[in-house]
Amino acid sequence: MFLHAWFMDLANSPLGHFMQASRWGFAVAEMVHLLALALLGGSVLVVDLRLLGVILRGESAHLIGRDLGRLTIGSLVVMALSGIAMLSEEAGKCYFSPAFRLKMALLAAALLFHFTLHRRAIARAENGRTLLWNRMAAILSLLLWLGVGVSGRAIGLL
Amino acid sequence: MLRESNNAFSIVESIHVLSITLVVGSIAVLDLRMLGIILRPIPVTRIARSVFPITWTGFAVSFSSGFMLFWAEAAKAYSNPAFRAKLIFLALVGLNPLIFHTTVYRRVHEWEVLHLAPWRARAAAIASLTLWSAVIIAGRAIAYF
Repeated sequence: MFLHAWFMDLANSPLGHFMQASRWGFAVAEMVHLLALALLGGSVLVVDLRLLGVILRGESAHLIGRDLGRLTIGSLVVMALSGIAMLSEEAGKCYFSPAFRLKMALLAAALLFHFTLHRRAIARAENGRTLLWNRMAAILSLLLWLGVGVSGRAIGLL
Repeated sequence: MLRESNNAFSIVESIHVLSITLVVGSIAVLDLRMLGIILRPIPVTRIARSVFPITWTGFAVSFSSGFMLFWAEAAKAYSNPAFRAKLIFLALVGLNPLIFHTTVYRRVHEWEVLHLAPWRARAAAIASLTLWSAVIIAGRAIAYF
């Protein structure tokens, strides 16, 4: 399959060779991945709690969605780069890992949701009134991102 | 019990990682606001009031799960240099809000609506972001020693 070939190419790339040979390469990539995770988690949580009407109810959801959305995307970029570095060290193992496959599927779902229905929920939000649809969007968003995190943690364990 | 069960250790560890995300992610939102990077039109106190419950909940969970992990491997952890570094960073990161709240935050009503907080508050924000990052980095390094 072409995906498997792509994973093997990554493992045999200069990045893959560097990561496999270096003692601290994986650790550093993991640390960067975790630092960006904190920002991602914080920004997603604050936006979704606003959509749920739990915090910052009187403040503009558009402003919160815009500013924290940038933080979400910024940390996602860092996570993708550090993630690719970690993947290059053990691409063969990850390709067959059920946790990795689940994480990628959930990540795709979370991203798709983030840029479509979730974005629409933020645009629809009003000050002082919480819409049922927005609550559902916030809960689904939190569940999707939590799923990405938990299945990601499982890659190293399974 | 925790040491003998690999699954239990992994589950507590995962809870530890996720709750640290709550602590650091929520406090980073406040720090970035004080630095004038995000949510500038919203007063600092309103953001502080909103994020502190998240921070404290996350802290309670990460402290108890962290204590369980330590208990399972106490002898090993005690002599681990990364663990010692993490404790030092944690002590410093606790000192920072103590100083912040007893000094510049006392007069927060004079500057809460400013888009850019006064320099002492910005210094506290930078210290908080740096020290929490150090806690995460040292924490991850425990597994490598």
